[in-house]
Amino acid sequence: MTVTLQKKICMLGGFSVGKTSLVKRFVASVFSESYLTTVGVKIDKKTVELSDRTVNLILWDLAGEDEISSLRMTYLRGAAGYVLVADGTRPSTLEVALSLRRRVEADFGPLPFVLLLNKNDLRKEWTIRDEEIDRLKQDGWWVRSTSARTGEGVDDAFGTLAEQLAR
Amino acid sequence: MEGLPAIVADQLQELIYTDRAAAYLQVDAALNLIGAGGHLEAYGLAGLRLGEPAPEQAFFLEGLLPPFETPCIMPSMELANGRAADLHFFISDDTCWVVLLDVSAERDAAQRMQQKAYNMTLAQEREALLNRRLEAANAALLATQHELEGSRDALARAHDQVQAQAAELAAWNKTLEERVASQLAEIERMGRLKRFFAPSLAELIVSTGNERILESHRRDIAVLFCDLRGFTAFAESAEPEEVMTLLHDYHAALVPLIQQFEGTLDRFVGDGLMVYFNDPVPCPNPAERAVGLAVAMRDAVAALTRSWRRHDYELGFGIGIAQGFATLGQIGFEGRFDYSAIGTVINTAARLCEVAKDGQILITSRVAAAVAEAADVKEIGPLTLKGLRRALAVCNVEALKAA
Repeated sequence: MTVTLQKKICMLGGFSVGKTSLVKRFVASVFSESYLTTVGVKIDKKTVELSDRTVNLILWDLAGEDEISSLRMTYLRGAAGYVLVADGTRPSTLEVALSLRRRVEADFGPLPFVLLLNKNDLRKEWTIRDEEIDRLKQDGWWVRSTSARTGEGVDDAFGTLAEQLAR
Repeated sequence: MEGLPAIVADQLQELIYTDRAAAYLQVDAALNLIGAGGHLEAYGLAGLRLGEPAPEQAFFLEGLLPPFETPCIMPSMELANGRAADLHFFISDDTCWVVLLDVSAERDAAQRMQQKAYNMTLAQEREALLNRRLEAANAALLATQHELEGSRDALARAHDQVQAQAAELAAWNKTLEERVASQLAEIERMGRLKRFFAPSLAELIVSTGNERILESHRRDIAVLFCDLRGFTAFAESAEPEEVMTLLHDYHAALVPLIQQFEGTLDRFVGDGLMVYFNDPVPCPNPAERAVGLAVAMRDAVAALTRSWRRHDYELGFGIGIAQGFATLGQIGFEGRFDYSAIGTVINTAARLCEVAKDGQILITSRVAAAVAEAADVKEIGPLTLKGLRRALAVCNVEALKAA
C-alpha cells in the first residue's frame, strides 16, 4: 500500500511575481494573462506521485510582499516547506525573496525551500544578473528559471520540493 | 450579548449565521473530526465524515492543528471554491473548534484597492525601467555623437593634410616646371655651344653657367689647320656625290678626334678644318694637345687615303700648328653669331697648313719647344710664308714619343 503524506507549503515572494500563476499552472495546467492580486491567502491542493509514496501538497498562496502589505507570519504556521518566487525582469523582487527567506528562517528555523526565477519567457527583458544566481547556487540553493506562461520548470520545481518534504 | 435585548441578540446571531455563512468544525485531540455544522456547503465542505481525520477532509487545516495559541484567527483564507473566510480557532474541553465566517465581500473590496495600488506601482516600475533604458540609449547616442565629432575632426585634419600635400605638390610642380624650363634653356644653350666646342666643353660651360667666356678677349692659344692635298683638283673632276661622300667620311673620322682631345672646332671650310686649344676653356698644355690631335688625325686620314687610292683618288693630308695670342669671342650680329679667333697666330697656322706636304705636321718653333718632351720633331728650316714678313723656323712632327 502506497504511503500518502500531506504537506503544507507556502508560496512567498513580492507582488506580481507570478505565485498564483505558478500554482494555477501546477494545479490546473492553465495560465491567465490578466493579473489579479491575492488578498490574504489562497488554499489549493495538488497530489504528487513520487516513486514510493504519494504527497498531497497543500499550497498556501500568500499575498505578495510589499511596503503596505507585510507578510502575515501566522500563515506559515505548520508549513513543511516553501517556494520563494522572484520575477526575473524585476531585480528588486529577488531582494524581497532573499529578505523573506531570512525572516522565515528566523521565525521557523531552516525549512526546505526552492527559489524560482519566474517569467523566463520574457528572457529578453531579464535583468537579474547571472553572477548573483551562480552565487546562490554555490551557497547550496536550489534555483530554477520558470515560466508560468509556458509551464517551463514548474512541475520540476514542485516535484523537487515534494521529494525533499517526503524524505 | 449582555446588554442587548434578546430580540437584537437573536437578530444579530441570525445575521452572522446567514450573511457570514457561519459554519463550524469540531476536532478532537487525535485530529479526528467529531462535529461539523452550519453553512458547510458554502465552503465546499459538504459530505464530511465524522470520526475521520479532519485535515484529510478539510485540507486547509493541514499544519494548523492543534492551534499554536487559542483563541486565534487565520484571516481571509480563500478556499478552493473561491469563497474567502476568516477561520477562528478556540479550544474547549480538549476539543478544538474551528468557526468559519465568510469575508468574501471584504476580500473583494480589499482586492480592488490593492489591485489599483499594485497596478500603479507596476506602472511606476515600468516607467523607471523605460527611463533607465532611454537614458542608456541616450548615453549610447551621445557616445556615438562624440565618436562622430571625433571622426569629423579627424576628417577635417585629413582634409587639411590633403590640402597641405596638394599645396606642396603644386610647389613641387612649379619647381619641376621651372627646372624643365631651365633644362630646356640649358639644352638650347648646349645646342648652340656644341656648334663651337667639344660636347664635354659645351657641358662644362653650361654647368658652370659662365657664358662670359664667350665675350671678346685675348688668350694664348694653339691653332691647328688641316686640309687635304689635291682636293680642289679632285672636286673638279669627281661627281658631287663622290665629293660629298668623301667629305662625310673625312669629317666623320676627324671630328670625334677633335672632341676626344677637347679642341674647339672653329670652322669647316670644305676639306679645311680649324681647331684651337686653351679657349674658351683653358688647358695647361695647348700645344701638346694640338700636336697629339694632329698625329691622330694624320693616322686616321692615312687609313682613309688607302681606301681612297682604291678609287684612284690621289689625295694627301697636311697640318699646320702655331701658338700665340689671339682675340676670341662671338662674331656676328643678332640671329647669327659665331665664336671665332682672329690674329696672326691663325694666319701662321693656316699658312703652315698650306705649305705642308702630304703627311706633314708643320709647327712653329714655339710649338716645337712646347712639345719637345712629347714628340719627335725635325727642323725643316726657315720658311717664308705668304703674308708674313719674316721667315719662320718650322719643324715637322714625325711621331709622338712613347709614353
